Amino acid sequence: MPQLSTRHLLGINTLTVNDIQLILETATQFKEVINRPIKKVPSLRDITIANVFFENSTRTRLSFELAEKRLSADVVNFSASGSSVKKGETLLDTVNNILAMKVDMIVMRHSSPGAPHYLASRIPANVINAGDGTHEHPTQALLDSFSMREKLGDLAGKRIAIIGDITHSRVALSNIYCLQKQGADVMVCGPTTLIPKHMASLGVRIGHDVREALAWCDVANVLRIQLERQQIKYFPSLREYSLYYGISRQMLDELDRPIVLMHPGPINRGVELTSDAADSPHSIILDQVENGVAVRMAVLYLLAQER
Amino acid sequence: MLMNIFIRSARVVDRASLQNGQLVDILVRNGLIASFTTTNPDLRPETGAVVIEGGNLHVSAGWVDARAAANDPGYEHREALADLARVAAAGGFTDVALLPNTQPVVDAKDTLGYLRRTADGFPTVRLHPVAAITKGAKGDDFTDMIDLHRAGAVAFSDGDHPLQHPDLLVKTLQYLRPFGGLLINRPEDTRLTRYGQMHEGIQSTRQGLKGLPALAEVMTVARDLRLLAYVLETEPAAPDAAPMLHFTCLSAAESVALIREAKAQGLPVSCDVAAHQLAYTDEALHTFDSNLKVNPPFRGAADVAALWAGLADGTIDAVVSDHHPHEEETKNVEFDVAEFGMLGAETVFALIQTHNKDRLALADLIDRLTTGPRRVLRLPPVLLAEGQPAALTIFNPTASWTYTRTLSPAKNSPLLGQTLVGNVVGTVLGGHYTVQQ
Repeated sequence: MPQLSTRHLLGINTLTVNDIQLILETATQFKEVINRPIKKVPSLRDITIANVFFENSTRTRLSFELAEKRLSADVVNFSASGSSVKKGETLLDTVNNILAMKVDMIVMRHSSPGAPHYLASRIPANVINAGDGTHEHPTQALLDSFSMREKLGDLAGKRIAIIGDITHSRVALSNIYCLQKQGADVMVCGPTTLIPKHMASLGVRIGHDVREALAWCDVANVLRIQLERQQIKYFPSLREYSLYYGISRQMLDELDRPIVLMHPGPINRGVELTSDAADSPHSIILDQVENGVAVRMAVLYLLAQER
Repeated sequence: MLMNIFIRSARVVDRASLQNGQLVDILVRNGLIASFTTTNPDLRPETGAVVIEGGNLHVSAGWVDARAAANDPGYEHREALADLARVAAAGGFTDVALLPNTQPVVDAKDTLGYLRRTADGFPTVRLHPVAAITKGAKGDDFTDMIDLHRAGAVAFSDGDHPLQHPDLLVKTLQYLRPFGGLLINRPEDTRLTRYGQMHEGIQSTRQGLKGLPALAEVMTVARDLRLLAYVLETEPAAPDAAPMLHFTCLSAAESVALIREAKAQGLPVSCDVAAHQLAYTDEALHTFDSNLKVNPPFRGAADVAALWAGLADGTIDAVVSDHHPHEEETKNVEFDVAEFGMLGAETVFALIQTHNKDRLALADLIDRLTTGPRRVLRLPPVLLAEGQPAALTIFNPTASWTYTRTLSPAKNSPLLGQTLVGNVVGTVLGGHYTVQQ
């Protein structure tokens, strides 16, 4: 049976091309499972998984929890806001306490880039990164690729534009790694202040005109403005942002060929996407959410073989 | 009790000595160099003398570390002064300049007096307190600098808090000038580095970490050089004047170039580099190891090459340890929560020798550990000659050894467990000596 090259999912950067293929192929099978009348398989019934979330999350946490339950794993949830320092207990202590209750896998979201790497080198359990600050969000990138492949087939040579707040996005970085490993051509587009200065050296195109990006691409993956992660001012106002970087239905309809519109959620309706764009036939936003469960099932299932 | 010390067959590394490059035997009696002669295998040390011999021994004037954090008073759990004295001696240093960022800050005679009184109890190393420029090193109100100078402050600096305000820098340079005081500043415009965690570049982009751009250092160097020139407009410096402004912990290639040019124009300026900056680039951070989190951060390979070149051509006057002990609680945490700084005083020489690859002649390296920092800090020169007070460092530049433990209570060194090249054998200060195990 094919196996992953790693026992943790810390980021896409550390996955091989074969790992990505294996996860996406396995997810195809699980997507079939979750569309059956009985959506559950017994694969992980001897496994206990803790979802440890140090940042708010609705979609990702629910998606992981459903994925775990549909694999028949035992699930516990832990949520705390703020960093470990504010909480008064270290991250390592918190997680070691959870592991002492005989937990096998840790799914963690944390505001610090590298927090899952830190943990993985210090604990015996498998670690799955559910988003580490402005670094990576690997399962999001995997479900995005899965959703694109459903629409477009093989992504080699396909043009993907990632539009919006690149600087504060973990989705952007994971998507860039994931798409490049599959041979896609990637552009990031947004105000200069929201694109890291050295982004081009990752081998991506840089754009600042959203209409040009839409005309160029096969897929527009539109990111959320991460106001909560902006510690200093990056642009003048949401009004101006939505006027010059927001995407409307009309802009999509004016393109000379249809494109696929994606968004990792939650959408700031009226800021990066107008409602009529988000709800248009171009949009596969809810497909992404559905695929998220299947992809996370695949990740959990495959990592459980690496225990 | 003063010991008699006999050093057998050590090669002299001291450009000021007539015996530079030769093998000598040295006898230290009553704290003075009693004899300093071409080595003679038949020479027998007198009874009771401590004998240091064997291996590829080299000897130079005692080394000077122009930048180490003092954590006492206030943070003794990280490292008390007595610990620092042992750590510095293990690194081959007979003189160490201490940062003022204790708690309370060294901004008045009481804290300065505490440091000097405590340091007097350490016979094997001389600790030289640097006093703060502003009260609490907060960058607002001046300390009583003449008072602190007379009480023994070796230089003035807000230490870990770079001076931001240009007028404050001008006024400090002006105020220090009549009594020949030295201003030390770590160049960083902190308005450009807010929330930064590592060097801004491709590696920080890959790791999703906010950057500390080299620009923040380079702009401050350029600005401060211009401010120094302004201060000198009406009263130019003498051609051989001691530096008035010392930039500490350079990390960027452009900073080295700016200072090289300023020195060529005759500005009384000097600078140093931390040993660890010569050994790492930002790529080393790919594992998010918080022991490698330092400020200024590790930059690119071109920056590291420029630092080596600056050391070799004398643009950079000194190598410092930038020794910053931290307790485990502030290092064994998420990367962006961890404190900046690493241990360094024990490994300056070994770290440089290990990474040297013939980029820097041994004589030049020793100059940057002796004559260079002595001139910057206005410490009296050390002469290797009969009748002179003994301040010596004995070392083996080719020995391999494994850094298995530190004498510091703190453990935040990425080098622990690594095998390094270049070993400190011991130091002699007056009639006291330390020999490393």
